[in-house]
Amino acid sequence: MAESEKAERKKRKVRRRDFLMGSSAAIAAGAVAVCAPESMAFAQAASAANVSYPASTGYIVYDSRLCLGCQSCMFACSMTHEGEANPSLSRIQIIRDAPSFTKYPYDVVMSVCRQCVSPLCVQNCPVGACFVDEKNGNIRRIDQSTCIGCQTCIRSCPQRPHRTVWNPVKNKSTKCDLCADAPYWSQKGGPNGKQACVETCAAKALKLVAEAPSQQDINGYDVNLAPAPKQFGPPGGAPKPAAKTGGA
Amino acid sequence: MANGYAGKILLVNLTAKSTSTIDTAKYEEYAGGVGMGAAIFWDLAVAPGDWDLQDAFDPRNVISLMTGPLAATGAPGSGRTSVCGIAPEPFPTPLFHRSSLGGRFGTMLKQAGWDGVVVQGKAERPVWINIINDKVTIEDAKMLWGLNTYETQGQILSAVAGRTRFGEEWHKVGDANTTARPQIVCIGPVGESMSRVASLIHGSGVSARTGGFGGVFGSKNLKAISVIGTGSIQAADPKGIVDLRIEHMQKYGRGMVQAGASCCMPCVNPDRKRNSYYGGESMCADQYWFMGNQMGGADIAIKWGICTWCTKFGGALEAKMPNAPAPFKGIVPMEPGMGWYIKYLYDLGVLGPGKKIESHPLPMDQWDKLTFREVFCDAIARKIGIGADLAEGILEAAKRWGRLEEDLNSGALRLPAYGASWHHSLPGVDWAYSYIFMSGDPMWHGFFTSVSGGRGGPGGGGGPSAEELVQKISAKMVPFSEDPLMLSNCWKGEEARKTGIYSEHKAKMLAWGRRFAGFYNESMSICDMMLPNFGGPSPEIEYRYYQVVTGSKKSFADTMEIGRKIWNMERAIRVMAGRHRDKEQFAPFMFMPGATFNMSGPKPIYVDGKWSFENQDDLYLDKEGVEFFKTNFYKFEGWDVKTGWPTRKTLEGLGLKKVADTMAAKGRLGA
Repeated sequence: MAESEKAERKKRKVRRRDFLMGSSAAIAAGAVAVCAPESMAFAQAASAANVSYPASTGYIVYDSRLCLGCQSCMFACSMTHEGEANPSLSRIQIIRDAPSFTKYPYDVVMSVCRQCVSPLCVQNCPVGACFVDEKNGNIRRIDQSTCIGCQTCIRSCPQRPHRTVWNPVKNKSTKCDLCADAPYWSQKGGPNGKQACVETCAAKALKLVAEAPSQQDINGYDVNLAPAPKQFGPPGGAPKPAAKTGGA
Repeated sequence: MANGYAGKILLVNLTAKSTSTIDTAKYEEYAGGVGMGAAIFWDLAVAPGDWDLQDAFDPRNVISLMTGPLAATGAPGSGRTSVCGIAPEPFPTPLFHRSSLGGRFGTMLKQAGWDGVVVQGKAERPVWINIINDKVTIEDAKMLWGLNTYETQGQILSAVAGRTRFGEEWHKVGDANTTARPQIVCIGPVGESMSRVASLIHGSGVSARTGGFGGVFGSKNLKAISVIGTGSIQAADPKGIVDLRIEHMQKYGRGMVQAGASCCMPCVNPDRKRNSYYGGESMCADQYWFMGNQMGGADIAIKWGICTWCTKFGGALEAKMPNAPAPFKGIVPMEPGMGWYIKYLYDLGVLGPGKKIESHPLPMDQWDKLTFREVFCDAIARKIGIGADLAEGILEAAKRWGRLEEDLNSGALRLPAYGASWHHSLPGVDWAYSYIFMSGDPMWHGFFTSVSGGRGGPGGGGGPSAEELVQKISAKMVPFSEDPLMLSNCWKGEEARKTGIYSEHKAKMLAWGRRFAGFYNESMSICDMMLPNFGGPSPEIEYRYYQVVTGSKKSFADTMEIGRKIWNMERAIRVMAGRHRDKEQFAPFMFMPGATFNMSGPKPIYVDGKWSFENQDDLYLDKEGVEFFKTNFYKFEGWDVKTGWPTRKTLEGLGLKKVADTMAAKGRLGA
């Protein structure tokens, strides 16, 4: 990233912070976020909505009933971003409750970055490393060269588990960038491209959409992606009822 | 370390209560999985020369749980864990055998920095092994002993993962964060009592069934191995592996092939949905084998840690076979085993309360009920009443009851070799032959379903002719591509010896199968349900996965040669444990009408210079023909035709001079 761009982002960041100074509600939201349970996400999002960010033009939605829990997406994510296979570095986390034997469909938790409309990770980053990438469809990203490893974005994420991911080797935070900056991804990423997790999902349980899912419902991203059931029966569908004939 | 490998193997000596590290590079020439497991077994258990390899429960037995280089890289279906060592299940003596399990244990082991775990010795009292990345401890299992496999994993989960609640937060493992939970392989009460029909259980439904390795854990006072890891695995071509996976999915559809980057079982959606009623993962088959089609059967089997494969009560399928052996009364279940056999004896009036074979405590009048399965497992686990006999395996039980010879000869004991359960033993003769040359069921579905079992046949019409089919398939079978006759299934008359199932051509097909399976399925640990798929991408896709992960410049033929080396290493171990041509025998029913169970359509045969398809529902073997085949196979493999032992020339040609020397010193080298 060019130094001028960094400086500009930092200036903008300060302006945002100045703005927040005048907004007690938003400060409260940021403070609570450190330990907020998922149920409090709505309140935070609502409060943070006072801060305006351009919406992302891409979101990954998922179907936790279709997911196999096979972790293909996790391996693909870490491989394409880090160049090595490591689920702990994956920016998408699929957690399967084995060996605790929770029954389907509650046995899998899909932890996918929501590209929040009101992103607390962006809002609270003290150095502007977590930013809205206007050149890539306004996705929320973390600039690795600017990140100071303070983990504020991790503490700020209102989701459980948090969607911002700590890389202990690099001492930096990372997060889903819809593969906009995936050095080991052969295809064009970003909101107008393809994502490694979506493309490698055998179950087709992940999908990129352009419209922001409901932010008011924690399950707004967990949608029905099941294919329409196949129609069985004779070609052309079920036989039509015989035409009524008039009486003699 | 080479790409794909974690770089080290964990060696645990339970007698000495010590752990140490083996450099994976020392065994890299054996690829991984069973290949490395066999080579390590040779070095630790055979080469010292102080053990006759007869007793699977001897503390000197070495059991290894090994992964392959593709595991934890995102290569699909490659996360399996291969298990090998002296297995207690085979009859009449334990044999060197291998099994495998899916789930996430193998990939987690790699992430923890280990290519495998090797266990030797015996703990003084029950223990479990706790692996957290590089940190390995041998923990007291006093509080776990006696618990079922679900309870055991729950307790270990609490001990390792602490208070982290499922799906809610990341937790610290060393310096790293993870959302993962420890992955655990354990035994239930059936394994604790050193039954020969005990499995290793992982998760809610994954198991290493064949061989009875659960009893080996029990004999070592080893209740469980738990692992959690947060490390990375390097691949030679990170872009290439993701690209190849996508190509695999796009070209070959969304069937069984794509899933399981981490877990192994490549079943798509049903795999997880089973969890809604059976306890999850790959349990559909367990449920069928153990409980007909009733729900809940698999839960019982997995919790007790019994081998549903060894104790089959029947299968989901049965076939009308008017010419089947008399005990079946014209209807043969696909997979009859211990459960079926005791019902047969009960119906015969020789087994039951107060009968010649006392059935206490089994409630025989409730044979088809879940309560029967509970009592069955309990009786075997505690070796009470008839359970003491059943715990020793079906053929040993029949022997104790004085019924072995009669029921083998009548065909009621429908177990192809060494007391191992029937599987796709016929009409796929390569599967059948693998039984006798290995130590029971080869568990090699891919080739069978797409070639030898006949699914490459004409199907619903419009498919290739028999000749076109064998040409297409044989072209893929490098380095034997020039010989399509190896795919002929002709089983009658002189043609069967000349070009058919007893011929030198068929020997070539079996040899190809053992090389391929030895390298790709058992050592690269690619799920055999997924690949090979000869109607689709095999064997190119397997080879390309191997290339992009390891960066190896070896040709496909080179990998097949590694497969041959692994096959000969396994052979050498078996020979040192007493294997001889005379012992490689089928059970009598294989030579009777009704021996086959054809669920897959017609097969290509070559007769009088012409290819055609034949439906082989009536196929059975000829005893002299099998002996003729054994000679052909030994010759092809470079083994002594009188003994079946590898020759020095063969072993040295594979770089196994040390093995040849050890065998020569024991007088076990082929002439």
